[in-house]
Amino acid sequence: MKRILLACSAGMSTSLLVSKMKESAEAKGYEVEIWAVAQDKAPSEMEKADVLLIGPQMRFMKKKFAKVADEVGIPLDVIDPVAYGRVDGEAVLNKAFELMGE
Amino acid sequence: MNKFMEFLENILLPIADKLNNNRYLSALRDGFMVALPLIIFGSIFVVIANFPFLDRLIGEEAFATYQDALGPASAATLSIMGMFVIVGIGYSLTKHYELEAIYGGVVALAAFLILTPQVLEGVSGVIPTASLGAQGMFLGIFTAFISAELYRFFVQKNWTIKMPAGVPDAVAKSFSALIPITLTLTAFLLVRIIFSYTPFDTVQNFIYTVIQQPLTALGSGLPATIIAVLLIQVFWFFGLHGQIIINSVFDPIWYTLNDENLQAFQAGLELPNVVTKQFIDTFLVGMGGSGMTLAVIILIFMIGRSRQLKELGKLGAPAGVFNVNEPIIFGLPIIMNPLVIIPWLLAPVVITIITYVAMSTGLVPKPAGIIVPWTTPPLLSGFLATGNAWQGAVLQAFNLLVVTLIWWPFLKILDKNYYENEKKGEGN
Repeated sequence: MKRILLACSAGMSTSLLVSKMKESAEAKGYEVEIWAVAQDKAPSEMEKADVLLIGPQMRFMKKKFAKVADEVGIPLDVIDPVAYGRVDGEAVLNKAFELMGE
Repeated sequence: MNKFMEFLENILLPIADKLNNNRYLSALRDGFMVALPLIIFGSIFVVIANFPFLDRLIGEEAFATYQDALGPASAATLSIMGMFVIVGIGYSLTKHYELEAIYGGVVALAAFLILTPQVLEGVSGVIPTASLGAQGMFLGIFTAFISAELYRFFVQKNWTIKMPAGVPDAVAKSFSALIPITLTLTAFLLVRIIFSYTPFDTVQNFIYTVIQQPLTALGSGLPATIIAVLLIQVFWFFGLHGQIIINSVFDPIWYTLNDENLQAFQAGLELPNVVTKQFIDTFLVGMGGSGMTLAVIILIFMIGRSRQLKELGKLGAPAGVFNVNEPIIFGLPIIMNPLVIIPWLLAPVVITIITYVAMSTGLVPKPAGIIVPWTTPPLLSGFLATGNAWQGAVLQAFNLLVVTLIWWPFLKILDKNYYENEKKGEGN
């Protein structure tokens, strides 16, 4: 079971992506837990996650999140803007697994 | 062009980073976040208490009783929102320093109350509620910053009372906070006493006159609002969340102006401010998201021929109705797209001016100080924000039409480009 956390300003637009990622994961037969939170909740939620993906519009938070991610020991990255715009669940899911080294 | 864009992004990204990760601004944002559920609770009851035509339906007297019964809901939340913001700031800042956050919250509140007038029209033993809302907002924010800093300073000095082993943890904790809190609050008491010998009489009066009034006067003007709106658009053009970045600076001003209107609205007086939190949230952002992209979605359905835009329209419409527009911003795309920079920057400025003029001339009622959640669909949000006035919804509809017209030629060119590329792709 892999746990993927997404963060954006209010957790609204990333939650659009979450449902697409879940669809893609189901089609591939991956066992995953994917959820989206607002940026202020991200640091506390990171403990429950294996990877953090940040909405591109919040990429200026990466440095702050990186510190916490480092402590918790999980990888993080900013979601590709094109994939974000297309709400491309598969591309983002692949990216998450790539970050987790699978 | 690309070089120039890169150059601009290299300037904007660090600014966004600084503004968003600055510990005071981030505590301020957290403070408003803490108050938000209470503010919305209060707003709901202001809306219910002011249903249109109800006074004619049930009679003046019954309507007054009805309003009195619902009054405490907003009086205890929305009208004294400063108090909750302060607790949130103190909590957040203390938490940032990894200390007992709850003490940071209550010490901020107590410090603020020490500086607040405790007499109203000769009656002592009261705290004027106005001081806990709009009037005390800036004092509260500064007090929360300073008290949390002082508290941290005294805790880190380690002038705490050490309890012997065996004393329950909670007891030890309450004593460990004792000295830092006593010293912090004593400092604020001294400040209050000193100010009572000045012409300002209270610290609140001092901050209100010297800082809050000039700043809110500036912030309520058209030029400052246009600058704020343009900055939001520019940040978004580079794919950075402009609203969040600019809000962290403007929220104290916009919420204060908002609360002034609420007090006037509830007292049945003329509303003082056009520019408020709702001016921005309902009439600019609340039209499909920052940049009023609901117009873009409408245009896609009207004139879109390319597959790419049609797909985007379907994807973006359901979220767009609730003012979430990242699919449009990143999918059209709006970011770094020179083709759309003109309507992207122009439309919000035009709408700011139209809305400002419509409200200052009295054509449309000013925002009543009710906080409508930003995810409320347009038309409904305009109606609610202006204190249940149909003119608010009509203004939104009119603005939407204007934005659609501004975008029309640009979206047509963009669509044509995509369409021709798709045709070429199919030909191969």
